[in-house]
Amino acid sequence: MTSTTALPDDIKSPGSVADPRRTSWPVLVVFLVPALAIYVGLTAYPAFRTIYDSFFTIEGLDATFVGLDNYRALMSDETFWVAVRNTFVWSFIAPILDVSTGLLLALALYAGVPFARFLRVAWFTPVLLSYVVVAILWMWIYNYDWGILNELLRVVGLGALAQSWLGDPNLALGALIVTHAWKWAGFNMVVCLAAIHSLPREVLEAADLDNCGWGAKLRHVIVPMLRPTLLNLYILAFIGKMKIFDLVWIMTGGGPLWATETVSTYVYKRAFNWNTFDLGYPSAIATVWFGVVCAAVIILNRVLASKDRLEY
Amino acid sequence: MALFSMLGARDPGATPLPRLFARGGLALVIGAYTIYTLGPFLWLASMSVRTTGEISLDHYAWPSPFHWEQFRIAWVDSNFATYFWNSTLVVVGAVAVVTLVGAAAAHALARYRFKGNRLIYAVLFSSIIFPPQITLISLYQILVDYNLYNSLLGLTLVYISLQLPLTVYLLEGFFARIPQDLFDAAKMDGYGDIEIFRRIVLPIGMPAIATTLILNFIQLWNEFLFAVVLITDPDKRTLPIGIRAFMGDHFQDIGMIAAGVMISVVPVILAYIFFSEKLIRGMTAGAVK
Amino acid sequence: MRWGRFGCAVAAAALSIGCMGPALAQPAQVNMWSNWPDEPAKKDWVSARVKEFEAANPQCSVKLSFIPKADIYTQAKSAVRTGQAPDIFYLEPDQPEFLAGGFLEPLDSYIDLSGLEDWAKPAWTSKGKVYGLPVEAYTVELYYNKDLVKKVGVDVPANFQLTQAQFADLVKKGVAAGITPISQGVGDRPFPGGLLLYEALLRKLGPDDYGKLLDGTLSYKDPRVIEVMDWVKGLVDAGAYPKSFSTLKLGESHFYFYNTPGALTFPDPSWFTGRAFAPPESGGMPANFPLGIMQFPAMDGGKCPECKTLAVAGSFVMYSKSKNKDCAGALLKSMATRDNGTKWMEQVSLQTGLASDPSKIKSAHADYFAELNARNKGVKYFFGTPLFHYRAKCAETYTQVMNNAFPAGLISVQDAADKMNAACFKG
Repeated sequence: MTSTTALPDDIKSPGSVADPRRTSWPVLVVFLVPALAIYVGLTAYPAFRTIYDSFFTIEGLDATFVGLDNYRALMSDETFWVAVRNTFVWSFIAPILDVSTGLLLALALYAGVPFARFLRVAWFTPVLLSYVVVAILWMWIYNYDWGILNELLRVVGLGALAQSWLGDPNLALGALIVTHAWKWAGFNMVVCLAAIHSLPREVLEAADLDNCGWGAKLRHVIVPMLRPTLLNLYILAFIGKMKIFDLVWIMTGGGPLWATETVSTYVYKRAFNWNTFDLGYPSAIATVWFGVVCAAVIILNRVLASKDRLEY
Repeated sequence: MALFSMLGARDPGATPLPRLFARGGLALVIGAYTIYTLGPFLWLASMSVRTTGEISLDHYAWPSPFHWEQFRIAWVDSNFATYFWNSTLVVVGAVAVVTLVGAAAAHALARYRFKGNRLIYAVLFSSIIFPPQITLISLYQILVDYNLYNSLLGLTLVYISLQLPLTVYLLEGFFARIPQDLFDAAKMDGYGDIEIFRRIVLPIGMPAIATTLILNFIQLWNEFLFAVVLITDPDKRTLPIGIRAFMGDHFQDIGMIAAGVMISVVPVILAYIFFSEKLIRGMTAGAVK
Repeated sequence: MRWGRFGCAVAAAALSIGCMGPALAQPAQVNMWSNWPDEPAKKDWVSARVKEFEAANPQCSVKLSFIPKADIYTQAKSAVRTGQAPDIFYLEPDQPEFLAGGFLEPLDSYIDLSGLEDWAKPAWTSKGKVYGLPVEAYTVELYYNKDLVKKVGVDVPANFQLTQAQFADLVKKGVAAGITPISQGVGDRPFPGGLLLYEALLRKLGPDDYGKLLDGTLSYKDPRVIEVMDWVKGLVDAGAYPKSFSTLKLGESHFYFYNTPGALTFPDPSWFTGRAFAPPESGGMPANFPLGIMQFPAMDGGKCPECKTLAVAGSFVMYSKSKNKDCAGALLKSMATRDNGTKWMEQVSLQTGLASDPSKIKSAHADYFAELNARNKGVKYFFGTPLFHYRAKCAETYTQVMNNAFPAGLISVQDAADKMNAACFKG
């Protein structure tokens, strides 16, 4: 690090303060080393171990090198592709639901609904519950016989629409997505609210003077100005959903007929529920998926951020 | 400008968007949404004072009588006092360390130009993506090697590493948006690098730090997979494992699960209310300066 | 102790010696994980065995933990690789990977094998050695509500076995009367949805061909298999299972059967009692419930109407890298006696793979146990459920298709047979 910083230090114009964007390497060490040490010890090593394992078949304590066999098998693994499809559907669509709900809630609070303080907490409570609890609660809500959803339908005379929400392959994934959005909308709300509050008030007032309609203001002023926040939230939600596990595992176990299988549940099944100690294959899935998610995040960032630049 | 700032609404005294709520329909929507988010929680709360037998007979009945003893059973007989203490120790420790370490790294990455900056950022960030189900076994091996298996310290370390990438990612985004002028001025005043971090970055970054604090806290407080694998000693279990004990293979003790959940979640809600209010006050004070 | 502390204070070397002194006098500690934290009868049985052992063997102490089964498996899968697994832990024979991976210690030299039932040994036998203590055994039974079955107008014959057509008739009458014919749910289990179908297949094919089916050497396209599947599909389409089938949990299906809304029949392994005999106030079966046990229906032209599935479930195994094999072995030995087997039956009202003496049983549930024994007289056993025989992708397909989708009516007979053949049939 010193060698790279030395040169600019030497050529800095006389009399000016040292470039505040640069610093000596001991300072960087102090700031970065704790994080890097934790990273190397507890994150990088297991990750590399996983990539390494993906080239082996492991029986008990014996590992046999199999080269790319696991990857080849993966390419023709139907269940894997179903899991990929489900996870993609979830990851690309559901964050829109999460973020837009969060934004609308934040706007409602910002616009000054009564009891805003109470609502802020009420809308946030689902975020505080663990997946296990959320899963149990929603399995009851979706229960065919006495779940509140079907009960409500029956009360309003739409009993014919009552469904086994988690038991129908066409509905199960949607039902899980709704549950997940229920849990996370509050978090998006809080972040959006903070971002709205930090918008320069003059802009909003100017929009008011121009007699902007609410919809127009949202579209032309608020959303564009919140774009970085919304983008960040979208990417966070996206990553969260690419890894989604707990909720699915408890509520459907990937069923019925693999309709809700996600990559993470499949990895877990292969690693812990497949009557084998072979870590090779699940490691290969994890490795492939790691690449896919990284690529997706980079592409999302590029596409959405470059658009950002073009427009403004 | 600010990306992640405060956690609550400022007093909407001079709100520029008022007309909207003339419409009653919206009040209805908001009421419905509130029932939607709060309803299941209140339902759970009602079940925490009913026995499983009563609940099975009618899932929606009002508790009668109130079985408050379920809380005593959980707290005393089922050892929730110990679990609560363990959870507090592990989660508070992990959140404190990860916030400090993460903030320091985020600051260095956001503020200083040096070779490899983006690389380190990308490397730290990418680890957010690895499915924990798969690194679990290697992590287990590491903890055994360092004699940290089945210890609260080991669990704390794992939790720190779990939340580190997210923390760095969120804070870096926020810190990068702090105007450089502030730092230049501080340098002129003769502040050292550490002082700048302590006196400028941390206070100004408070809203973002609070957001990550809360997010990290919630996620770790509810963490289950690592807690179940890395801890086997009953005295060292954390709350989610304690709750899990009521979900038997044959028999789900719904009433006790609900009571256990209440024990674990009510303090978090109170803390959230407290912190979000406190934060707003801090924000307003900061804005005046 | 004072000497020890003094030693510690002097120097590092003295520390190790000084502190070792008292440590050596301590009994060797056996670490043991058991399932059944939520089943008092079984839990009590295990605790009592451990207490007796500790009392008789002061040189050994036991640290016993009760952990839910799923958590034991998750923990053990990580722990065995690193030498951290407990000396003794709970395992079922459908987890053969522990044995295959070399993580289990053969028990032949530790326990008295005559304390085990001969039919239970194969579940844990590999290359001539026995690797597990088969404490819990069960048969697959068809429980029914005597009153409701009578109410819909069906008489259970003296041999307690309906024919294929009679059972279909029972289902039809139940549906017509608004009573769910079969209480069953697969919300949290990989097997219950397959119970009726596979018991029917066993009775149709007979043990040899049924064994081939589970081996993957008999196709699901075999006309006899298709015939049975058609019959079950007919029941499914008639509304045999609850609408909430996919999400109903095992515990809830118990409640569904003997409380609300009630059902005619309840196919369940005989470990039924673990849940049903809990006190009614915590969701157990009401004391006056008209419980009956019948045989699964006989199939038309079935090869073996008297067949029945028998299996070993909860067992205890010893970790091959245990550091306390002597104490652990002695503990297992002390458990594997005829007396203890009898006690298990008496307390748990469930079969055991330990030798036992049913004539000595005196329990509050003696009537139930007598009926269970009556239904198991003259029966020809087939060993192992589908999940005991199926592995990996085949097991997963069984869970998704035969356990869930097929009895839920989501998939046709042909599609189900195709999917099973693709995953399990070896050609």
